[in-house]
Amino acid sequence: MNPLAGLLSGRLSEAQVVDGLEAERWAVCGRVPQAVVFPESEAQVAEIFSVSSEEGWSCVPGGRGSWLNGGQPPRGVDVVVSAERMNNVTAYEPADLFIEAQAGADLEAMERRTSECRQWLALDPPGGERGTLGAMLAVGTAGPLQAGFGSPRDQVLGATLVTGDGRVLGLGGRVVKNVAGFDLLKLITGSWGTLGMITSVTMRLHPVAAMDRSLLFKSDDVASGVALACRLAQTPLQLAAVELLVPGDGESGASAGASSPLVAVRILESVDAADEAERVVSERAGMPPFQRLDEEKSAAIFANVRAMEDGAELVLRLSLLPSRLPELVEMTSRLSGLHDPRAGWGMRLAAHAYTGVLRVMIAGMDRSDEWVDRAASVLVDLRRSLEAEGGSLVVSQGPPELVGAVGAWGESGSSALFSAGIQAALDPASILAPGRLAQ
Amino acid sequence: MGDAWVIAAADRLLAYESDGLTAYRRTPRAVVLPKNTDEVSRVMGILSQEGVTVVPRGAGTGLSGGALADGDAVVVGTARMTDMLKLDPENRLARVQPGMINANLTAVAEPYGLYYAPDPSSQSACTLGGNVAENSGGPHCLKYGVTSRYVTGLTVVTYGGSIVELGGFGREPGGYDLLGVFVGSEGCFGIATEIEVRLLPRPEGVSTLLAIFDRLSDAGSAVTEIMAEGLLPAALEIIDGATIRAVEASVFAAGYPTDAEAALVVEFDGIEAGLAADVERAVIQCREAGAREVRTAASAEERLALWRGRKKAFGAMGQIGNDLMVQDGTVPRSKLTEVLRRIGEIGARHELLIANVFHAGDGNLHPNILFDRSDAEDLSRVELASTEIMAVCVEAGGTITGEHGVGVDKRRYMSLVHSPDDLDAMRRIKAVFDPLGRMNPGKVLPDPPAVAGAAS
Repeated sequence: MNPLAGLLSGRLSEAQVVDGLEAERWAVCGRVPQAVVFPESEAQVAEIFSVSSEEGWSCVPGGRGSWLNGGQPPRGVDVVVSAERMNNVTAYEPADLFIEAQAGADLEAMERRTSECRQWLALDPPGGERGTLGAMLAVGTAGPLQAGFGSPRDQVLGATLVTGDGRVLGLGGRVVKNVAGFDLLKLITGSWGTLGMITSVTMRLHPVAAMDRSLLFKSDDVASGVALACRLAQTPLQLAAVELLVPGDGESGASAGASSPLVAVRILESVDAADEAERVVSERAGMPPFQRLDEEKSAAIFANVRAMEDGAELVLRLSLLPSRLPELVEMTSRLSGLHDPRAGWGMRLAAHAYTGVLRVMIAGMDRSDEWVDRAASVLVDLRRSLEAEGGSLVVSQGPPELVGAVGAWGESGSSALFSAGIQAALDPASILAPGRLAQ
Repeated sequence: MGDAWVIAAADRLLAYESDGLTAYRRTPRAVVLPKNTDEVSRVMGILSQEGVTVVPRGAGTGLSGGALADGDAVVVGTARMTDMLKLDPENRLARVQPGMINANLTAVAEPYGLYYAPDPSSQSACTLGGNVAENSGGPHCLKYGVTSRYVTGLTVVTYGGSIVELGGFGREPGGYDLLGVFVGSEGCFGIATEIEVRLLPRPEGVSTLLAIFDRLSDAGSAVTEIMAEGLLPAALEIIDGATIRAVEASVFAAGYPTDAEAALVVEFDGIEAGLAADVERAVIQCREAGAREVRTAASAEERLALWRGRKKAFGAMGQIGNDLMVQDGTVPRSKLTEVLRRIGEIGARHELLIANVFHAGDGNLHPNILFDRSDAEDLSRVELASTEIMAVCVEAGGTITGEHGVGVDKRRYMSLVHSPDDLDAMRRIKAVFDPLGRMNPGKVLPDPPAVAGAAS
């Protein structure tokens, strides 16, 4: 063991630390940590942070490692602290519609527990169900269901956080309505591990609707697909999701259901209401859906949407006001030169019609220096155009050299004034993924 | 500003000496009423240069003393900032000034088939700026969530007069959710001068039922069973026997039977075609839980009639007591019956009448303790009972305030729910927004513990 790993295993136990080859799969934006530690309690997390503060090491909190390549590359990666071994469901009260689990529990485990009582966690963040609860909160991203249920920030009730200076904070609680003090839960949601390590999470649950129905509408081209998606988001109904899906050029289309653009509408209602919603949606579409999928099949099509980032080498999140989604989609033509048409499946699009967020996934790139330069200039230009219009461009995953050149996040405006202070308040020694969230 | 918008005359300051929680009264040094972001910024610039503490104020309907200003502080009021700045029906967004009244926003959005979801009981008087400060709830947040879910952007002015933009719909640039932590900060971080909110399409249909119970615990069981059925009503509200009798004795009489011990209002909204089945299932659950009578509404008028007793409950309390102290604890729903029983015992032990009217669906209790302010002994018993009620809520896994905020009233109870480290973290975050500690001082956080060795 290297000295760093040796020191940590002395403080915890040998079985809780790995280094060398075993640490390679825990690389953060291409940088292999000197050690990966698997604490089993808040006290151990605090101990790791305390040693790291003394030694000046940078720590990157994580779960199973799905998101380590996301976000801005941190300035230092000495230790990855994984919540993987803290994975118990600690409280589930069906009558109270909440579940509390340690941060390393995965979303699939939640699903198994709650489905017995016909309840669920109404979130479908990209990355599938193997992702951990802690990572979902730390990253804070949402999928198509954001339209109907909000994002993780709207559904988290409580969390335990070990701050950079080793304090164990109990944030929020188990109840939906809670205004006892400042809402620090909001700060840690989407904080990418820079304020502390999330060790347990309490989430709000929803009853499973009597009917889960997806309606699929096919479009001849992208422009008419996006117009249809916008139209369907304007019904007076509270639909669970309206998503435009555009497969890559090189795709047979099997995974997304078709090779031409699709608009997928998800309805979660009682049976009678689902029939009525289908009628209203079809009327607004001006055509019947080419496919109607109920129950497991409906869930499956949206599980595919969650998996759309799998295998992508570059993932972007673009946004403008929802009414400008057609322009936003149009602007992706500027990205069309970034993938090699002979390799990979090309460029996929998934747009949330209610929020105006467009995910762009690209596979098949040559990643040469020349390509990095070209891609960087395209992304910087596109970001500038979007920011000028009140929108944004986030590079959520990509080759580290590209993300380093472009910056993951873009302009945060006048609020940047407070960001450094927030981090210093909870991580005064700046040991937690420094630079991951700020530019 | 002009003389008209600076109030310093003692008689006119009287109107600002308390908010909705009249147990606390102080007279501010002055009140300033700016009309837009720039004026707020200039006013704050002057006040901060002079080192004067600032207390923001909306309509003054708060129930925790959050807008209380002592003689050193200047109140910056939003009473003139009532404009709709932008209504964007296509994107279902509105941008408003903070002094706009909650209900007025829905009225303006109505012609487009849209409405603003959070509906605190005071919605015909309270302002959106106040709602942002308190992260307000309301009867319908069981299904729709509280204010923070609907606020998508803010323009805020800091104590030093800086103008800062937080959030904004249509962009998600990464970075800390400063918008999220500002909502609910009770005026301790700065003043929101423009508010961007998300609107929702008006549900196609609404269906309401009222169930009458002989035992409060049976109404609690009905709530648990309705939720266990997988139903998600838009509202689930209970008023207890003492409250029913107060309402029926008042001008707000709603036709609730006065020998009942609980009335449960259940409301569903959404696609018309699905409502009848939901209502039917809820009716069955109410009957099985022991309801002696279930009324359903066939028209909008009948629906309002069913709600009347609930909506006017606070107003009717004057029938049974001179003064009123309302508590706001939240408990996990499954603990409702047990906690209500213990609240009853606390009332009996302190010989105080406690009338309950509450958001049962999300476990948010509003025990109203009735007393006589002129009786000093009454006051101390109210204090004791309040403390015990909050402790019971926390013990059951809940919290001390669900929607009214901490203000001055509950800051000394914050340590019931938060560790010293939690409170210290909140203190540090406040210092990021307000390093000098002059924004609404003495609210939310208890005084920090004396540092060992620092005491003289």
